[in-house]
Amino acid sequence: MKMLFKLAFRNVFRYKRRTIITFSAISYGLGLMAIGISLYNGVDTHAMDNIINSQTAHLKILARGYFEEKDEVPLKFTIDEPQEIKSLLKDNQDIQGIESRILFQATIISGMDELPCLGVAIEPEVDPLVFKIKDSITDGRFLKPSEQKIILGSGLARDLSLKVGDECTLRIFFSIEDFIWNALDLEIAGIAKTENPMVNRGTVFIPLSLAQEALSLENRVTELAVRIEDKKRVLEVRESIESRLASLSKGYEVVSFEEYASDFRELMRLRSRIQAIIPLMMILIATLGIVNTMLMAVMERTREIGMLAAMGMRKMEVMLVFIFEGALIGIFGSIAACIIGGLGGWWLEAKGFSLAFLGEEISEMVSFLPMEVYKGDLTAGVLIFTLIFGTVISILASLYPAYKAVKLDPIQALRHVG
Amino acid sequence: MSIAKLENVHKVYHIGKVDFPALRGISFSIEEGEFLSIAGPSGSGKTTILNLLGCLDKPSKGKIFLDEKDITALPTAKLADVRRKNIGFVFQTFNLIPVLTAMENVEFPLILEGQHEAKERQRVTEDILTEVGLKDFLHRRPNEMSGGQQQRVAVARALVKKPKLVLADEPTANLDSVTGEEILQLMLELNQKTSTTFIFSTHDKMVMDFARRLIKLRDGKIESDQKVNKK
Repeated sequence: MKMLFKLAFRNVFRYKRRTIITFSAISYGLGLMAIGISLYNGVDTHAMDNIINSQTAHLKILARGYFEEKDEVPLKFTIDEPQEIKSLLKDNQDIQGIESRILFQATIISGMDELPCLGVAIEPEVDPLVFKIKDSITDGRFLKPSEQKIILGSGLARDLSLKVGDECTLRIFFSIEDFIWNALDLEIAGIAKTENPMVNRGTVFIPLSLAQEALSLENRVTELAVRIEDKKRVLEVRESIESRLASLSKGYEVVSFEEYASDFRELMRLRSRIQAIIPLMMILIATLGIVNTMLMAVMERTREIGMLAAMGMRKMEVMLVFIFEGALIGIFGSIAACIIGGLGGWWLEAKGFSLAFLGEEISEMVSFLPMEVYKGDLTAGVLIFTLIFGTVISILASLYPAYKAVKLDPIQALRHVG
Repeated sequence: MSIAKLENVHKVYHIGKVDFPALRGISFSIEEGEFLSIAGPSGSGKTTILNLLGCLDKPSKGKIFLDEKDITALPTAKLADVRRKNIGFVFQTFNLIPVLTAMENVEFPLILEGQHEAKERQRVTEDILTEVGLKDFLHRRPNEMSGGQQQRVAVARALVKKPKLVLADEPTANLDSVTGEEILQLMLELNQKTSTTFIFSTHDKMVMDFARRLIKLRDGKIESDQKVNKK
């Protein structure tokens, strides 16, 4: 066995150029695959975190009926006793913070320009416990309770050429169909640039009391956003909240971020499936490369194979020489792929990349993921998978050439002129 | 004692739809220690006889005995075992493994045979390479040696496992006449020293002159079979 391995090892270096080409195809293909997987994983976790931190929180308590029509941002399903619910859940150790919010449809007017946006009424003193809007203020400051000021998403501010200290008008709609609205003149307190471009492009934050007054909702809100300590316990916490709320007369539903962002998750799944085709193609090319290299080797070494058979080498032993050769190229290629994938994945994890180089407008157009910076998530598992996958693929790819080698008739092989 | 025997051996090759008879009823027997040349023009059946004796091929008709055992009907895998244990090959084009050194090439059949004692293997290998005059070339690869040196390695490789039979198919055809003669001289010396049976095919007069027995073939039949008394 040692001798067969030695033979295979030396044969790998016999046709250096061809080995290098195959090796490069494998390392490039598998390296890209590893980077791709890191990126998908990263996008999956980071995008979800961005959505949680800027839109959905971990859980939302909604009046029954709201969730089904959530895309319309209706005002008819309200939570009438938010304070009571908050105090009911006060002793739940898993909960980090609960914020009362109202979501409403609005437009923002600056001079002659008017843009549609989503209005989010927040409790400025509680919001930082649940969301990360406060951390994303790039200009100005965060809201204070009850003040007549707003925070604008950075995209909106840019499109309307508004800056901190400017005045603008917020048209708040009770009902879009009936075109019933109220208008507020407000000063811009700050500009928010979250890691979620969707929020930056079309969201306005105002203090809750202001919205309740303008929308005549008094103490009512449209949702309670809940942040919990450990994301993994979201289902248990939901259950415990549901059982607590059961005592209340009005019906409520508790929705997790995964349900709230289900459209996005579906999109992600589809997208990663489509994008997985690219590395798969690369792997196919690498596999064909090995098959080709090994078939060439069989052809070029026909007489040698005949001689080995004449010397009494068993078919299995001849096969093993070729399988070892393929496996060795595969192992070397996969190790290089792990280095490429590791470096790429590390870079993606540490720095990430932004589409900002395309210019802000274009990058916003092409980016439909809730991410400003695309970050990877590299795990040892990805690298181990790459290594094993590359080796297995290489061994499988050498089976056919190895089979061809043992099918040769020793007499014909010995006569072969090559 | 007869080391190999052919009994009314026929061999027909099917090339496309045409049947080509290569051997038409060959019978002869080989005694241990013979230095035998099978001669004849191309197409006369020399290589076919070597292939049959070397267990690389099976006859269409007739029987072949090695060491008094009928090997005619043995399955392919068993034939490989017979080759590994009993037969050494020397080819016209040397056919050394290019990625192995002279030492490793000669050691290879011992490994295939299952000799696990590495030190013993290496001692035997070095001895035989010294015997064929390549003491200083142990660690050279084939492409670092001349044709004559490569053929010496091939002879050493054929002999290292002490086979009953060494088959050499036109062993000097790719060598110049001086080197060819040296190789034949070497094989003859080894034949006399070790009593190993050598059978080689040729159509070269000089090679025939070295033989102690000469079988001449024509059109797949034995034309003459004679002992040659040498100087």
